[in-house]
Amino acid sequence: MKFFRPQMALAVMAAMLLPIGAPVRTGAADTTPVKIALITDMSGIYASLSGEGAAVATKMAVADFGGKVLGRPIEVDVIDHRNDAQGSAVKAREALDNGADLLLDMTNSGVALADAAVAKEKHKLAIVTGAASSALTGANCNKYTYHYAYDTYALASSTGRNIARQADAKTWYGIVPNYAFGTQMLADFTAAIKPEGAKFVHADMIPPGSADFSAFLLSAKNSGAQVLGVLNAGADTVNTMKQVKQFGIDKQMKIAVGLLFLTDVDALPDVFAGSRITTSWYWNEDKAARAWADRFTKARGQGLRPSDIQASDYSATIQWLNAVKAVGSTDADKIVAYLDGRQFNDFYVHGGEWRARDHRVTHDMYVVDVIPKEQIKEPHAWFKIVQTIAPGRAFRPESQSTCKKDW
Amino acid sequence: MQYSAGPTFSEGLLLAQASLTPSFLLEQVFNGLVRGGFYALLALGLSIIFGMLRIVNFAHGAMYMLGAFVAYEGALQFHLPFFAALIVAPIVVAAFGLLIETLLLRRLYNLDPLYNLLFTFALVLVIEDAMRLQFGALGSPYEMPALLSGQTNLGLFAYPTYQLFVIVVSILVCLAVYLVVERSPLGARIRAATENPELTRAFGINTSRLVSGVFAFGVGLAAFAGVLNAPYTNVTPSMGDSIIISTFAIVVIGGLGSLRGSIVTAFALGVIQALGAVFYPPIANTLIFIVMVLVILFKPSGLFGTTERAA
Amino acid sequence: MTLAVIAGRGGLFVGLALLAIGLALPYLVYPVFAIQLVCFALVAVSFDLLLGFTGLLSFGHAMFFGGAGYVATILIARVGWTSFPAAVAAAVLYALVLSLAVGAVAVRRSGIYFAMVTLAIAQVQFFVAYELADLTGGENGIQIVTRGSLFGFSLENDRVFYYLALLITVLGVLFAIRVVSSPYGAVLAAMRENEQRARSIGYDTNRFKLGAFVMSGTLAGLAGAMFAIGNRLSGLDSVDWHLSGKIVMMTILGGIGTIFGPIVGAGLFESLEYYLSKGPLGDKTNFAMGLIFAAIILIARRGIVGEILHRVFASRRRLIEDEENPDRLIVGPLG
Repeated sequence: MKFFRPQMALAVMAAMLLPIGAPVRTGAADTTPVKIALITDMSGIYASLSGEGAAVATKMAVADFGGKVLGRPIEVDVIDHRNDAQGSAVKAREALDNGADLLLDMTNSGVALADAAVAKEKHKLAIVTGAASSALTGANCNKYTYHYAYDTYALASSTGRNIARQADAKTWYGIVPNYAFGTQMLADFTAAIKPEGAKFVHADMIPPGSADFSAFLLSAKNSGAQVLGVLNAGADTVNTMKQVKQFGIDKQMKIAVGLLFLTDVDALPDVFAGSRITTSWYWNEDKAARAWADRFTKARGQGLRPSDIQASDYSATIQWLNAVKAVGSTDADKIVAYLDGRQFNDFYVHGGEWRARDHRVTHDMYVVDVIPKEQIKEPHAWFKIVQTIAPGRAFRPESQSTCKKDW
Repeated sequence: MQYSAGPTFSEGLLLAQASLTPSFLLEQVFNGLVRGGFYALLALGLSIIFGMLRIVNFAHGAMYMLGAFVAYEGALQFHLPFFAALIVAPIVVAAFGLLIETLLLRRLYNLDPLYNLLFTFALVLVIEDAMRLQFGALGSPYEMPALLSGQTNLGLFAYPTYQLFVIVVSILVCLAVYLVVERSPLGARIRAATENPELTRAFGINTSRLVSGVFAFGVGLAAFAGVLNAPYTNVTPSMGDSIIISTFAIVVIGGLGSLRGSIVTAFALGVIQALGAVFYPPIANTLIFIVMVLVILFKPSGLFGTTERAA
Repeated sequence: MTLAVIAGRGGLFVGLALLAIGLALPYLVYPVFAIQLVCFALVAVSFDLLLGFTGLLSFGHAMFFGGAGYVATILIARVGWTSFPAAVAAAVLYALVLSLAVGAVAVRRSGIYFAMVTLAIAQVQFFVAYELADLTGGENGIQIVTRGSLFGFSLENDRVFYYLALLITVLGVLFAIRVVSSPYGAVLAAMRENEQRARSIGYDTNRFKLGAFVMSGTLAGLAGAMFAIGNRLSGLDSVDWHLSGKIVMMTILGGIGTIFGPIVGAGLFESLEYYLSKGPLGDKTNFAMGLIFAAIILIARRGIVGEILHRVFASRRRLIEDEENPDRLIVGPLG
């Protein structure tokens, strides 16, 4: 290579001869801490859903577990992914190279997919709670990633099916954001409402971040469809719903909202009143949930109630620590072998299973109605459960999984 | 991961064509005019600031956002009604703009105009992040004023009253501003001051005060648009982020420094976007940039621009 | 000011100092982050070629950086290529062709118009990346499992890949230096000083601008390809206009028209962002970066290296600044 400068060549060769790569961690390091890397959005759009509350929940789990496992102290490192998939992948990599044993949360599908790939590369476990993409247990499935809380399929099959069952809810018009989440939601909803004899007559693939849905809502009204499927997320959903009420669309069509969280309703109660949605957990669903929620609220402060994602972080942490204890090490391969196929229950998961086929963690899901502000019995008591969906119905059947299981 | 489970583009096209009644199309045109109204108010302010002051105000979108937040905070803390906010917020933001101009921006006037573009770009980061830290990223709810809620029957169809208000107000304001700048003595003085500051000063006119005033007015216009937008969409710290580059594109298409160009292009593109959204929604936001590239190719100084302003 | 410095002894000194830091870098910081640093150093240099030496402010450089990154990762992930040089070569080719096409349209304009055109076309590429979600993964991006191999050598080890990236960056920087100190560079300088005069002498200024634009875009593409493969992923963030803005900021931070300045600027900017975002100030990162950049524009326009060079060499009167326009964006070269 005639372009090599002599100094440069020497430098490169020297670098190659140096011992490269981090020293291998041996399980015999008995007193080094067990580290959980909580990757969340601390100040962006998912900060209320996950964020600080997720840190509180995870640390609560560690404390409740006793602060130690296998005689080693447990540490929780909070990493702010700032909704930047590339940046978070570097930080996840660095955390794992510095001894992290578990990646947790990753609320944001892009971040989750990027970090799951890193986990696979490093042979360490990643439990995704807050992200929606069912690709995590589909085309992007891998041995070292579990998808814990919910996914687009669960939302579709619960909300979609529940609404499509009604006699006058057979034609749907979709307001869909034009990115992976949106296309996934559309596909999952289409499949979910089909057995009830319903279908989408049209779906608008709208650039996410659009503030103005008037053109599409008008088309929806004009199309004569019976149901408006609002399949976007976050700020898009807020804007859509605001304009739905403005154009009086909710008087003419039923409204199915694909994705909504308790914390969204906290922020904008009037916009979402009367919507029917699906959630993986509600803080007031039963005694056990409420007992935990009260403890969380005390730790979190300001009377804030936990979202289902924050509860899932606690649950996942406890379950993983239990597995570590049972297996006697933090080795990801051993833990996967232990968890695969295992059934379990706790305050968050009812009828749960760590599905071996595609690493989807299945459990009950709940269809709820959002109660208007004037009718709630206490602060943050927004939901009324109208139907409980068993895991067999809620999640994509194993037979339909697109996961190419390579483990 | 693309799923083709939904209707395809061509199916959608057929469907759209099937329901293309004249009243539907007209309604979409109205939607476009609403969009255009926001664009026009923003483009007008940007164009005035550039045309008169040679300042490329990247922070224009941030000023728009600040206007919405002043309205929100005003309602929260002082029960400021919407119509009052339409006046108060622009004044508050204009004052803020004045501060920035006199203290900071003024130092960059002798330099290449690209410096103020870069400075205002940095300003956006500071302002938007500060607002996000204060108000959170999820957005703050602003209520629709009761007087303007509901729908108005326009004969062919019923259209939300608030949107009609937006169309009317934005057209009126744009017209008023245009007339003042192009036809009034004040406007003449401003134009003189920017074209030949020395000579204008020789006449005893305080040019630096004019310059500051124009800048403040321009950002005040942006804030006005922000207040108009608050009941319509979510008030978030990043609401100016996406609209700023579209606004730049509109101003360039219309012709940098041409007020008429900005106003007409804004409304026209708003309508084109709305109609485009009917046929192929994904392209809605990018349409403006495609048009811009075409205009630059075939009419470089913009549709209504006359001479190229050398930067 | 800077041309004489760059090509002379001063430049050699600065260059060697930077190289020393570069060689030690993967032992000072996390290696994957080090890869990020060199890639941004290269793209900043490419940007300087265009802004500092040709006087054109592009607000769309992310289209080369991110676009090339996408091409490289798509070839590895979707088409199954396993050769690193082949993937990079294809990516660079894409950047070259794109810069040729964009340049042909853009160089007819200057100043703010030029910036807007590059921004607009970058937005169109963003939209295309979005739409072709099967290819690009859309919002989720593409993850690649392997970095490919270099003539049989595996590149999976982070430090090994870093040194390769460093080598490529060094070559890129040397190329840029070569360009600006060559007769071609002299014409660019002349054009920057007075375009009318250059044209009246007979130079086809648009051709020269286009050439500079293509070189800049291609180098940016090279940096982007390395970045994507180094990080093992490509996403919409890398073709977003905010990234274009970051590239502008880091170059100006370092000092435009100095070649080495942008390297320092990129290193500082990225490190600041990275470490700020991990620390207690994490959620105020953009705020802090914006403040710093605003301060630089107001007070230290020449950028860090620019200011240093100015003070060191101006005091020894080895500079003849452009007296007619002392505060122009681009500082003229030595006579």
